[in-house]
Amino acid sequence: MVNKQMESINKINHNLISLILFIGFCFSTAVHASETLQVSSTTADSMHFHVSYTSKVEPLPLNRIHSWKLHIESLDGKAVENAEISVHGGMPAHKHGLPTEPVVTEIGTGDYLVEGIKFSMNGKWELWFNIRAGEITEKVKFNVEL
Amino acid sequence: MKKSTIGKLCFVFWSCCLVVNAQAVESQVWSETDIALLRLHWIGSLPELQDDPTNKYADNPAAAKFGQKLFFDTRFSANGKVACASCHLPEKYFTDGLAKSRGVGEASRSAPSILGIAYSPWFFWDGRSDSLWSQALAPLESAVEHGGDRSQYARIIYTDHSYKKAYENLFGELPDISDTGRFPLSAGPVADQASDERWQGMSEKDRKAITRVFVNIGKAIAAYERLLIPAASRFDQYVEALLNSDSAGGNILTTDEVAGLKLFVGKAMCITCHQGPLFTNNSFHNVGTPDPATIKPKYLPPILHVLKDKPAVDEGRYKGIRQVLQSEFNCLNEYSDAKEDDCAELKFASTKHTATLGAFKVPSLRNVAETAPYMHSGQFSTLAEVLEHYNSAPRAHIGHNELLPLNLHQKELEQIEAFLNSLTSPPGVVEGLLRQP
Repeated sequence: MVNKQMESINKINHNLISLILFIGFCFSTAVHASETLQVSSTTADSMHFHVSYTSKVEPLPLNRIHSWKLHIESLDGKAVENAEISVHGGMPAHKHGLPTEPVVTEIGTGDYLVEGIKFSMNGKWELWFNIRAGEITEKVKFNVEL
Repeated sequence: MKKSTIGKLCFVFWSCCLVVNAQAVESQVWSETDIALLRLHWIGSLPELQDDPTNKYADNPAAAKFGQKLFFDTRFSANGKVACASCHLPEKYFTDGLAKSRGVGEASRSAPSILGIAYSPWFFWDGRSDSLWSQALAPLESAVEHGGDRSQYARIIYTDHSYKKAYENLFGELPDISDTGRFPLSAGPVADQASDERWQGMSEKDRKAITRVFVNIGKAIAAYERLLIPAASRFDQYVEALLNSDSAGGNILTTDEVAGLKLFVGKAMCITCHQGPLFTNNSFHNVGTPDPATIKPKYLPPILHVLKDKPAVDEGRYKGIRQVLQSEFNCLNEYSDAKEDDCAELKFASTKHTATLGAFKVPSLRNVAETAPYMHSGQFSTLAEVLEHYNSAPRAHIGHNELLPLNLHQKELEQIEAFLNSLTSPPGVVEGLLRQP
């Protein structure tokens, strides 16, 4: 009788452990997928441009106005100069724009200074750069996670 | 067989009890990551107040002492009955408990608490001021708040021996305004037409001389307001105990308060905006708060409500940012002591409707349980109503509601409310600063 009870307890324990492991697996997969989506990229490509940025403040600060240095190259590695660049963005999940209107000025050899960036909330932000160089006008997007 | 089934049932029940107990224990336990997050909201993490580059008297103790006197002085009003302290009462955590504040008339908005306000780059619900001193000046010339004008206020300083002495020790010699032909008793760029006409009739040099005195009044009041900081609440004591490796947090918070705190920093996403030791990001968001212009009184049939004359819908930050950019007292203008590089918040502030329309400043939640009613025009009387609004995230009357429905259960809403009660604390300043000196 005791053995049978122990057997059924073992069976239940076994099932319980399997269930916990299964749930644990599901959660770890979910967390992993979510983390993959959350990665902020500092490079972005369009049809003709390869764009990267470095922030003057690292890690990206919350609620603080700061600057980025943007570097733009053609896909064959040549610095893109004399580009006209405008910035917009926001938080798609909350459907609101940036709290600031960043201003871009050219530094030289494909480098541009982006002043006035501010992220006022935790979460996923998008920053779009509209780049016009010669006859080409294209947009690149950076995903930022704070 | 029967006994075995009962045994199994007992075991399952026992297992369930264990799981429930484990969950109950779990709900009281914080991981190291959680504690690091709580630390960011602990009052001990409040950094030292940064210099205010727009106000070179901001941290001058004599300016603060002078400013305290001005803050409580009802002579600075059209009827001699309204002071800054009339709407920012120290005993009510520097609020007045009204949906719409009352000065010489009724304002359109509620007076927010000014405890910890000096940490913000923006002032008023719509951020129409970008410095504490320029904020202090606006109600003085509002037709419904103090109702006076800058010439009248400059003359109070000029004629009160003690004020004149304090002023001149700080700011230098007062202009000689004894000639009332040149310096009218009442004149200023205000809604009152007669006062405004007299103001326009003065020379530019004389107007600037009066304005300089007016600005210095604001700078002294700001120096006083910078000293008004919230002290530690039960929440802070709880976090401090956790930081000192007491996993029970000194048993300072109840089970419901802890559960509410977990929701606040987790599932309810409150810290998305109510972040940091002052529980605000000092930014502007549209949270779909019902506008007094669009709320239909219960007694009024819908057709009559449609036809009724209503006040304009409050555009919030959309209008506020335009006002501050035009303000003679903004960071970039001549009365500010700042250099252009110090004015990044103003220079780069968004004017776009996607960031500003129907948006209002996120208030601090320190002492929130004691500072009803809530929202920019006191639309909600209780915290329960506020939480219900956030839970359902209704459509905005203007612009786009940034909130996402939380779908929390009633018990969870009650737990968040319980937690908010733990944020009450006395002002962290000496008693002498809370009354007329």
